[in-house]
Amino acid sequence: MRPLSLTQRVALLFAIVMALMLGLLGFALDRAVEAHFRDMDYHILAGKLELVNNLLAKARDRAAFDALPQQLDDALVGHPGLALAVLDGDGRIWFASTAETFPQPLLEAARRQERSLITWNAGERPYRGLAARAAAGMQQGGPYTVAVALDIRHHAEFMRQFRRSLVLAMLLAGTITAVLGWAVTARSLAPLRQIGATAASISASHLNARLPLAGLPPELAGLASAFNQMLDRLEDAFQRLADFSADIAHELRTPVSNLMTQAQVAISRSRDAQAYREVLESAVEEYERLARMIDDMLFLAKADNRLLVPRQEAVDLAQESRRLIEFHEAVAEEAGVQLVVSGAAEVVGDRLMLQRALANLINNAIRHTERGGVIQVHLAQSSGGVSIAIENPGPTIPAEHLPRLFDRFYRLDPARREGGSAHTGLGLAIVKSIVEAHGGKLNVSSAAGLTRFEIHLPA
Amino acid sequence: MKILIVEDEPKTGEYLKQGLSEAGFVTDLASTGADGLHLALTEDYDLAILDVLLPGLNGWQVLKALRAAGRDLPVLFLSARDRVEDRVQGLELGADDYLVKPFAFAELLARVRTLLRRGRAPASPDLLKVADLELDPLRRRVTRGGRRIALTAKEFALLELFLRRRGEVLPRALIASEVWDMNFDSDTNVIDVAVRRLRSKIDDGFEVKLIRTVRGMGYVLDA
Repeated sequence: MRPLSLTQRVALLFAIVMALMLGLLGFALDRAVEAHFRDMDYHILAGKLELVNNLLAKARDRAAFDALPQQLDDALVGHPGLALAVLDGDGRIWFASTAETFPQPLLEAARRQERSLITWNAGERPYRGLAARAAAGMQQGGPYTVAVALDIRHHAEFMRQFRRSLVLAMLLAGTITAVLGWAVTARSLAPLRQIGATAASISASHLNARLPLAGLPPELAGLASAFNQMLDRLEDAFQRLADFSADIAHELRTPVSNLMTQAQVAISRSRDAQAYREVLESAVEEYERLARMIDDMLFLAKADNRLLVPRQEAVDLAQESRRLIEFHEAVAEEAGVQLVVSGAAEVVGDRLMLQRALANLINNAIRHTERGGVIQVHLAQSSGGVSIAIENPGPTIPAEHLPRLFDRFYRLDPARREGGSAHTGLGLAIVKSIVEAHGGKLNVSSAAGLTRFEIHLPA
Repeated sequence: MKILIVEDEPKTGEYLKQGLSEAGFVTDLASTGADGLHLALTEDYDLAILDVLLPGLNGWQVLKALRAAGRDLPVLFLSARDRVEDRVQGLELGADDYLVKPFAFAELLARVRTLLRRGRAPASPDLLKVADLELDPLRRRVTRGGRRIALTAKEFALLELFLRRRGEVLPRALIASEVWDMNFDSDTNVIDVAVRRLRSKIDDGFEVKLIRTVRGMGYVLDA
């Protein structure tokens, strides 16, 4: 079975709830009205019973006794639905206002000195009656039993009408609320259909579509805004990927073009062995560069696919930093810069990967520090994790470049290939993926001639 | 020294064979896993170089069969795939080294020599000499033409490496690993600068230059 639509569910729920509530309310009303009628009837019947009892009690002599039927008839005038019967001690009817018979249980209850209101049907008509022993005024033929009954046809009629109206009201209200629920839900969900339509229209070449946020109910505004933000991120990631592809092509074109031109020039005429050797040596250098770039790109691709799983070993960052500084000693001395480590920190992670990340940052710092500058490596440990900051004096990086600094092949000056041919332009991107593979964060800030890269690794 | 190469890519196989032969090794080339295994079980080799992806029997299976037959010759794997599982699987099966394509030939050569050297008597602490250069590992002294040369600790370690592997072309990655214990890929010129500084100390002012650059390959020390 196909699941019900949201609109159908809401409409159905509205109808059921409304019918249920009206049903309960109707049931309570029905009980109350019924009880009220029963109360009213009891009072009328009890009053009449009292009256007849009085008449019987006052008839102390024969003459009065013979006049009784007339008095009883008079007492019933003006009460068309009222029936009265007086029975003698043998249970024979001594007086009856109508031909209707009184049910046996009523009379038996009277004989037992009980007053109970009993409802019965005589022919088509419903009756409610009350009976009692009469106070003995006359000894002859006693003790007498008096029974009064009320035709409650109009009450029953009223109740029937009332119940019919109630059922009608239930049906009508249920239907109306269902329709209303359906309409309101359908209207409220209209923006959802629009979100669906927009999502359906999005493709790689059409990532700039956004949902209009104006006039949306708050619940959907959140969804639509999250949806738009997702599109922003997708568009951004897609753009970066597209840039990356273009950059790869560009980066590959340079060495391939070098190789091709060199080889073509070399074979354009005959040369001695040394000349050929030089061409091959130069080619090997380009190949090495290409191979390194492929290695780096594979590393990044693995990071993108979450295949970069760092080993879990205790790494003494102060010791690693000192070793890395020792490794870079010669280069730093040539560049006329000094490297200083301060603080201490230990972390669980992949020693090789962390070494590589730190080496890339140190390397980057050496390249961008002017002669005579001091590069600081600060290590700090707290309960939240460790922080490694690498700070170098150097030209301030304009703020607009900072967020893209870790992009692959991103260069401040596109025309300049930094660091000569050995540098692939992927170093900082690799730092970022290593840090992220460790669940950490990498930040960069640059102000007043000081550039600071900061790695936070969770404890 | 006899080396078995099992490589199905004909061009790679030929170049490996040529390169290793010219480096002074006796080599056999097989192009399928089954042929390679047969050769390894019938001939006596000092080392095997196995490609991981081979038709029929792959490199892992060849290695397993070799170890099952009680052959404990060192095995170096070549693979175009660099997945951690691959590396782990290879090392668990008893491979001795693992090289990812594309690799530098000098790197392969250096690793082959390291594997072949393994298990032999440790390098003697005797005086190391090339031409008029002398390095005394025990007293940590270096002299050239009788004149004392002052070196930093790392420069000393670098020169000792060159002397112990005299005549071998040492790739940059190997130097970084042996001298500084840095085993990550790096695109720095750290090694070039370090070698240049060492060279200026031991070669400047002398007729015979001992340390040579082999472009695109690395550095070599020889008289």
